[in-house]
Formats: sequence, C-alpha cells, structure tokens
Amino acid sequence: MVGLFEYSQGSTVLHRANPVAKLALAASLCVATSLAAHIPTLLAIIAVVLLGAVYAGVGGRALALVRALAVLAALMLIVQTAIVRSGEPVILWVTDRGLDLGAHVALRLVAFAMPLVLMLSVTRMSDLTNAAVEVLHLPYRYAFAITCALRFVPILAQEMARIVEAQTARGLEVDSPNPVRRLRLTVPLVAPMLIGAVGRADATALAAEQRGFYLRGRDSSYKRYPMRARDVALLGLCLVVIVLGAAF
Amino acid sequence: MSITLPTRVAEKSRRAECETAVVPLAYTEPEPSHQAGAEAGPVVSLDHVSFCYEGEPTFALRDVSLSVEPGSFVGVIGPSGAGKSTLCSVVSGAAPHHFAGTFRGTATVDGMDTCEVGLTDVSRVVGSVLQDIDSQMVAAGVEDELLFGLENFGVPRDQVEARLAWALDACGIADLRSRDIATLSGGQKQKVAIAAILALRPKVLVLDEPTAALDPASSRMVFQTLRDLNDSGITVIVVEQKAALLAEFSDRVVVLDGGHVVLDGSPRSVFARRGALREAGVDRPRVTLVSDLLSQAGAFPAEKSFLTVDEAVAGLLEALPCAVAAGPAAPMRASRGRAGKAPCPPVTGEPVLRLRDVSYGYERGRVAVSSVDLDVRPGEIVAVVGENGAGKTTLTKLVAGLLRPTSGEVTVCGLDVRRARASEVARHVSTLFQNPDHQICRQTVLDEVTFGLVLQGVDPTEARERARGAVERLGLPAEAAPFALPRGRRQVVALASAMAREPRLLVLDEPTSGLDARERKTVMGAVDEARQGGCAVVMVCHDMEVVSDFATRLVVMAEGRVLADGAAGEVFSRSDLLARARVAAPQVADVAGRLAQAGFEAFSGVSDPRELARVAEGMVR
Repeated sequence: MVGLFEYSQGSTVLHRANPVAKLALAASLCVATSLAAHIPTLLAIIAVVLLGAVYAGVGGRALALVRALAVLAALMLIVQTAIVRSGEPVILWVTDRGLDLGAHVALRLVAFAMPLVLMLSVTRMSDLTNAAVEVLHLPYRYAFAITCALRFVPILAQEMARIVEAQTARGLEVDSPNPVRRLRLTVPLVAPMLIGAVGRADATALAAEQRGFYLRGRDSSYKRYPMRARDVALLGLCLVVIVLGAAF
Repeated sequence: MSITLPTRVAEKSRRAECETAVVPLAYTEPEPSHQAGAEAGPVVSLDHVSFCYEGEPTFALRDVSLSVEPGSFVGVIGPSGAGKSTLCSVVSGAAPHHFAGTFRGTATVDGMDTCEVGLTDVSRVVGSVLQDIDSQMVAAGVEDELLFGLENFGVPRDQVEARLAWALDACGIADLRSRDIATLSGGQKQKVAIAAILALRPKVLVLDEPTAALDPASSRMVFQTLRDLNDSGITVIVVEQKAALLAEFSDRVVVLDGGHVVLDGSPRSVFARRGALREAGVDRPRVTLVSDLLSQAGAFPAEKSFLTVDEAVAGLLEALPCAVAAGPAAPMRASRGRAGKAPCPPVTGEPVLRLRDVSYGYERGRVAVSSVDLDVRPGEIVAVVGENGAGKTTLTKLVAGLLRPTSGEVTVCGLDVRRARASEVARHVSTLFQNPDHQICRQTVLDEVTFGLVLQGVDPTEARERARGAVERLGLPAEAAPFALPRGRRQVVALASAMAREPRLLVLDEPTSGLDARERKTVMGAVDEARQGGCAVVMVCHDMEVVSDFATRLVVMAEGRVLADGAAGEVFSRSDLLARARVAAPQVADVAGRLAQAGFEAFSGVSDPRELARVAEGMVR
C-alpha cells in the first residue's frame, strides 16, 4: 500500500502522454470491463493492462498488485459460489453457474482496479491535477482535494503501520497468528491514526494557504498540458477498447 | 481550510510607526508589487500581543512586544508551552487567520496589520516553515513543491525558472530537483521546505524547530543555510531548543516562558543570565558553563564568557601557560566519568542483549544493518549515534523483534528473537519510540500506563497501582487525556508506560527529541534511575550532550556498520572517526580535543564541562 501510488520514472509514451488521455484510457478499460460478458474478454483486458505495465517499466508493481488483488478476488469467488446455488453441482456446494458468476466478479475486480492504479504509477499527481484543471476545467480546489486524498492513502497506511509496530512492541498481540484476534486488536488503533491524520490535514491546509492556494486559477500552472496527436490517438484507442469490450 | 476570524480586541493606539526602506536580496529581478511600497523600520512588530486559542482556558501568548529589524537573525527559545509556536503563528498570520481565538494587541509585518489583511497577503512577506515538515509538503516531487507557491502567487512565467534554480542553489539542493520527496532524508526535506518558501522571496523567514528530528551535522547544515540567507538580507526568526546553535548563528535571542518574553538581547547577554535561564528551564551552551566555572574559581575574567567552541578554544589557549603544553601531561587529569556524576563501576554479569554478526536488508537491496556484534549488560546505557540513515532505528527494531535479521543472531534475555513474535519479545523489552503518538491509545494518562502493564500480563488491580506510582513519580496528571497534552508531556507519558513495566532491557529511539531542558532532565533522570536499578538501556540519540551526560558506552554507526564501541570520552576524542560517521562531538569534547591537539594532553578524553574547567583551572594557577 505504501508504494502503491508512487510515481515511477520513465520516458515511455505512457509516461509522456497527457494525463487526461491516460485517465480516459484507464476509464475506458474500466468501462470495457463492466461491459465485457465473457471470461476470456476479461482475461484479455487484464493481459493488455499487464503488457502495458511491462512496457512502461512497472511490470513488477503490476504483478504485486495482481497478487494482492487475487486474495480479495478469491474471497469474492467463494462468496459468490455460496450465494448462487442454481445450476449443476460441481463440487461441494459449488454449482457451475455459481462458479461462472464468481469468476466474472473476481476477474472484474482485478480488471477494474489495475488500470487506475497503474495509470497513477506513470503519472505525477501534480501533472494529473494541473491537466484536469487545464483540459477538463475542473475547479482547482476539487482537483487538489482529490490528489491530496490519493497522496494521503500511502501516508496514512505508513502511519498505521508505525502505530501497529509501536503497539506490538508494547506486547499487544497484533502479530497473533489468529486473524480474527489480530483484526479485533488492530481496529481500535485506527482512532490514534485518525487523530494524527486530522492534525496533519490541518497543517497541510495551513501550508497550502500560506503559499497562495486561494489565488490559484486555471492558468496558474507553469507547465502546460496540450492535447497532442498521440493523446488524440489514445482517445481513439479508448473508443476501440469500449467497443471491443461491448462486442465480446 | 476555511478561515474563522476570531474575536479581536485590537489596541490601535499602540501601533508602531514605520518608516521607509527596502530589504536587499541577493537575488535580483523586478520588484514584485508587494515590495514596491515597503516601509522601513522594523519588518516585524508585535505590540502588546496576546493570543488565546479557541476553547483553551489560558492565553498561549501574553502581552508580547517585540520589534525585529530587517536583516536580523532572531533565535527564540523556551520550555514547552512557552508560546514559541504561537509566536511563529502570530508573525506568519496563521493566528488569527487559521487558528481561531482571542487576539489582543497589534501585529505588524512590513507595515501591514496582520489582522486587517488576509493570510495570503501576510504570506507574501513572511514565509513560514512548520514544525512537521511532512505535513507542509503539498506535492510529491521536489520541483513541484517549489512550483506550487510560485504558480499560486502568479510569478511571471519567464521568472519562474530563475527563481526555482536560485532557491534550490541557495539551499544547496540543486541535485535534488527531480527527486521524489518520499525518498529524501530528514535534512534534505527540511531544505526542500525552506527552498519552497524561499522561492517566494519572503522578506522574513519564520521556522518552528527546524532541526528537531535532525542529526547534529544536518542541524548545522540547516543553520548554515539560514545564516547564508540572512547574509543576503532575509530576516530569520527561528524557534530552536539547541542553545549552542542559537549562540553560534543568531544575533539576537528571545527567551519565552509562560507566554511572556523573559529575556531579549544578544546571545552573549542572554546566555550570561544563568539564574533567569534556569528559572525558565532553558539550557545554556556548555562552553558558557565552562567559562562561568572558571570565572567563579577566579581563574578567568568574568567578562570573557565563551559562546562558541571557537571562542572557548581561543580563550583557553590564550589563558593556558605555554610551558604546560610543551611539558608532560598535567598530573591532575581526572577520571573520565559522566558529566557531574560518579564514574560507573565496571559492568559485569551476563549480557541482557546479544547481537552476533547481525545483518538486515530492506527491499530494493538496501542494506540497513551489516555484521553488527553487540553485548549490553545490566546497568549499562549504550548510546548508539550516527547520522540519519546510519541504521540506528533498524537496529532498535531488530532488538525489539519488529524485524527479523537477514542473517545473524539476536538474543534478548536468552530469547532468540528470530523465533519469537514481537509481542513475546515485549515481555522482556520496553521500547520508547521517537513519536509518542504511535504508542498512546487510551483515554487517560493512568489508563495508558496501566494498559502497558496489562499487556505484560500483570493483574489489572496491581497494574493500576503500579501505573499510579509511575505517573506520580514523573509528575504527570493521571486523569488528563494524553492527546491533549503538549508533545513533550506525551513523550513522558510514553516513557512512564515503558518504565512502569520494569523491563530488563529498555530501548529508546531519540528519547529527548523535541523536549525542553526540564523535560529532558525528567526523562533522562528516570532512565538513569532504571539503569541504577539494573536495567540495561540501548539509546539511539542525536543529542550529544545527553549522550555525554548519561551514556556509559558509546557505539558509533555509519552505513549500517559499527565503527567504534567504547567509553564516550574516548570515542569523542577520535575526530577522524567522528568525521567518517558525520557525528559532531559535544561542545566540551570538541574543545578538549582541540586543546589536546594543541599539545595540552591533559584535556584528552574530557567531555564533562566541570572536568574541563578543573583541568584548565589547575593549569592556569
């Protein structure tokens, strides 16, 4: 979680493209995922995203993400098979229809999360904010709030890890082999993390205000984010992705 | 982020009058509009200013009148709760614009009444660097962090690049321009924060404890940067707990206590006020103590007090007879005990902690600890020193069982840490982390300390009794909410929780970081008491005065390796080793080392001010 949204240096087309075009591509892959009716299509989407990640030099991170999502996906699969009991029995309580639906849900989860996370690892947060303001005319304060929230996710995760570490060193069994006990002991620790987060957010707000936050307009950004030919091509690719997702 | 304007009773009649002048800056370009009409006289003026935070029963700042001339370097020092941060907030306009409350009096910056203009207008003149640097960062990359303010204030596009390059150069971090902030060290982040403010070309820089989390070498680098900026005409107001830094770099020191200004003057005049400083709970530079001791003994003129190491060395070299340097070592060389304390008897007994050839590497191949061997016995305080990133904190985590060594063996009280869970190791080891807020999780101080004992398996009734004893011994309010206490008191709460468990091994990570002199004394007094009771202590510490005063042994680390392990006085006398590890010796050891190098062998290995004064006195007479 800590390095999830960390920017990865590079000079590939995916790094250089307009952040808005990249955002559109990630969104189109999500739309295609929700439209795709068959498992091979979902697998193809995941494969395309993985290939794109390898091309952009973030293949390792993509595989780590797949591994992390696989746990959640497996859980979803089991839950679905337990809920959907219609169809022919396969093994134990699992039916062919439950398995099919469960596999869809699990693959959709992976295919949904990956494009957005990987898009963020080849895009600087500040570029995303500034491009959203310049190209999409999103009010800066909203764009800043969204990127701050994204930036705070790994910071809060790190803070939580430190709190858990400190409590473990006091003897709190948050390292118990029993996952239920672990969860029961960890949940109350969210409170000190949130107390710290409120103070931190307030300090960030003050620091931003003292550096002219309220003066910022749509044209304030030093860098410019024009939509070039390759960005238009990427937008075209978005349409193709959506159509293919709908067709298969 | 909305501003709540507070109740304000301004007393306009007392407002200072200003004349006209322009602050010169090394960086030149067409003057921005806000500087065109700059007025002369004080650049910052507080006229009977008091401030009370909303919901708080007492005023944090009381009737403070201060006038800061352009180009000054003002150091602010005082105990916790003295109102230092509030003073920064008043000067930067955060109080009353961001922090709601009752504001009395008049605060003027560059001729503007801070209550009558917006926070953004004040920010055009006053650049503020907050205490928590991580919170100050609004971007992920260094360049973006600097651009943020430039873009917002609408600096013309053709000037942005020059401003950016100038600010980075002025802070000596041009090579960090394309780095991610998350990958920087504490000292580098501090400089980025200063550069981001500097790029806006403020007339005044206000910094709140910029070196609290830094090692001595990085602290000096930050102050050197501030000195260079000040030389170029920028007024610097810096809150700092390290008296030695203020004595060396500032040209004016303001001492706050209980919201009042109790002393205000040149470093020499302020640090000469021993009684007033002691009453306020503020330390003096150790070299000043040496000159006081010498003048009290009649061996040195009282008017020649030392402020810096250079002054002390020059003054002593002048006073010491040349014949002594040429002759054999003076016969009165004292035993090399800890400051003001009886030397510790040799420590015997089985080690409580044993590390054998221990290595640890983080992901991405970075080796944090490499082939470390260490034994710590009951009754020892082993200080681990080294620059930020030397592997000290990783070492404490390996001892606490929070990390498992990649290779080697860690044994705590006979327990192999590699095979035990951290919560099991915690039965033998108490750890005090740098940030107390990671440890505190209960509603009252008493509950917090009791909780630590209950986790250890102590019966709840007995735990409460023992906790009450620990809380009373450290003078803490038992029923207070820990998170409502000031930072220093929260650190004492975390310490009380660790001490109440009567551990066999105590691990401390920067136990005195951000504490004032009184709190430092309370914390380290309790630690030393535990040591005398047979507890073994491992202490990571940047404060070399604390190390010199309390450590029975000193371990120097650099790049994950142990470079030296021995008595503090001996290790501090090895200047080549300290330079390699980028560790600064405490003032007294530095003076003694330089005198020994000049031929006065009797000073070799001395690190206690009283001992240094005794040796010097013996030679002068």
